[in-house]
Amino acid sequence: MVLDPQFVWNGIVVGSIISVSALGLTLIFGILNFINIAYGDYMATGAYIAFAVNAQMGLPLVVAIAAGVGGMAAGAVLVDKVVFEHFRTSSPVTLLIVSIGVAFFIRNLIRAVWGPSGNFYDVPIEANPSLFGVRYSVEQVSIIIASLLLLAAVYVLLRRTRIGIAMRAASDDRTLTRIRGVDTERLVLYVWIAGGAIAGLGGIMLGLDAQIRPNMGFTTLIPIFAATILGGIGDPKGAVAGGFAIGILQEVSVVVIPSEYKFAVALAALIIGLLLRPDGLFGEATR
Amino acid sequence: MALLDLLLVVGIIAGVYSLLAIGMNIHWGDTGLLNFAHAAFFAVGAYTSAILTTPVLETGLLAERVVGFDLPVVAGIAAGTVLAAGLGFVIATTSVRLEGDYLAMVTLSSAELVRLVIHNEAWLTTGAQTLKNIPRPLESTVTTLPVSYDLFYFLLVWGLVAVTYLLFERMSSGPFGRVLHAIRENDDVALALGKDVSRFKLKSFAIGAGVAGLAGSLWAHYVYAISPVMFLPSLTFLIWTAVILGGAGSYAGAILGAVVIVVLRQVTRFIPGSVPFADQLPYIRLMFVGVVLVVVLYYRPEGLLGNAQRLQAGTSEGE
Repeated sequence: MVLDPQFVWNGIVVGSIISVSALGLTLIFGILNFINIAYGDYMATGAYIAFAVNAQMGLPLVVAIAAGVGGMAAGAVLVDKVVFEHFRTSSPVTLLIVSIGVAFFIRNLIRAVWGPSGNFYDVPIEANPSLFGVRYSVEQVSIIIASLLLLAAVYVLLRRTRIGIAMRAASDDRTLTRIRGVDTERLVLYVWIAGGAIAGLGGIMLGLDAQIRPNMGFTTLIPIFAATILGGIGDPKGAVAGGFAIGILQEVSVVVIPSEYKFAVALAALIIGLLLRPDGLFGEATR
Repeated sequence: MALLDLLLVVGIIAGVYSLLAIGMNIHWGDTGLLNFAHAAFFAVGAYTSAILTTPVLETGLLAERVVGFDLPVVAGIAAGTVLAAGLGFVIATTSVRLEGDYLAMVTLSSAELVRLVIHNEAWLTTGAQTLKNIPRPLESTVTTLPVSYDLFYFLLVWGLVAVTYLLFERMSSGPFGRVLHAIRENDDVALALGKDVSRFKLKSFAIGAGVAGLAGSLWAHYVYAISPVMFLPSLTFLIWTAVILGGAGSYAGAILGAVVIVVLRQVTRFIPGSVPFADQLPYIRLMFVGVVLVVVLYYRPEGLLGNAQRLQAGTSEGE
């Protein structure tokens, strides 16, 4: 059995997208302590805002990406103010169900505005160059670079800034953090901004790699959840490691299983991860 | 009369959804298990029944189904129910020990895997194409009678809903149900009282999945033709909304919730196409379902017929 390096390359691209997305989800979970089903639809919203700016208004892709990321950061804060803020004291399970309602709303709003079919960004179509037998596209390279930049930025945020340190503290123990004088409600605002922006970026990457569809985020939720849980829910570096692990495993798995079933790899990783290492790869899950 | 016929169709769909909601209610309302795989149980019931009761047909253009048994409809419905229960058992064995929202993730992923299998294994299910010509029970007999077939099917479905309702109501207030309720409130207590908690959860999961399978069989035999897109996770979420709306823990509430959701979705079909945003109506309808779910959870978390004392089943711990 020879492993085609093409699969590894594809895996790195998919892994970058999953890592970025899982990072946003796990940050939100760390502070707010619930699994946000609507997260996939946040991703789709980011992708569609960028689509509107890029393909419909005809502005360059860079502007569109900024609009999508910024728009979704604002959108996440808006959803929090309208919905989640009123459920702050509810149990994680109630919040999870509330987020189903939010997901329904957002996904169908997207369908109502942009229609149910798939769309593409307005990017020049070129033949994909290849290097050492690996075919790659400009979009794929940009996805990997953007994800590395984002991961570095989040690392600096969490390690070097006061907000980030407070976030990590609140993720560990929210009550104790409050006792130490941190305004946790303010922190919630920051985490929605960061989480929403990351979701937007993840969605745009996904749209660049494949297609922009209303359910694009929702259908990617499963590998994202798998990465998040595999890495230990609430643990940012675990989410990144889990994302790359699942992305690469999923793409490489086509060597041994039919490619229609590569998605099953995420499910298997999810179940095995939960049974064997419920605290995540690094044992730093926040619960 | 045309309107009556339409009402019968809505009523049949509402009956099928009621069965789904009953199945969900034993999971969530009685046992506090977050089951996000309901669409998969529904699908397994539908496909099992369809495959067992149709002959091998060479209709597929792209893929050919090579399995078909041409058995009586009753056998199909029974097998669909049992197989869905079996699937519920299998999914639950991998995950029933997991905490609430982890269970939700695993069941959601498992359901998607089931849909993937149905989509890809065309030799068994005709894959992405529709599986057609599913027979309707007693069709030749009913057409000789002076009643419409829809009326017969309506009575059949609601008869089954009534039987299931009575059975589950009884089970829920009996010794088995009391253990489930104890598990919902606090499974450590149930464990300390010597109950095999995992076993009870497994049973609850299998029973609820079986009812969803029954609903799937009834659906398949009514609509003639089924395809994988009928079994998306959004179906699961709709049933969740129905159960929450009706009141978790109350079987009458589950049925009421299902009827309300179906009526909400179907009634808007009568709005003429000339109104503004007519093209967007199907989506606006589902947006409205999302709003209903959030609003109910905020203003009336116990649902329409739920017990405010118990509040939301399973969520009383923790906060």
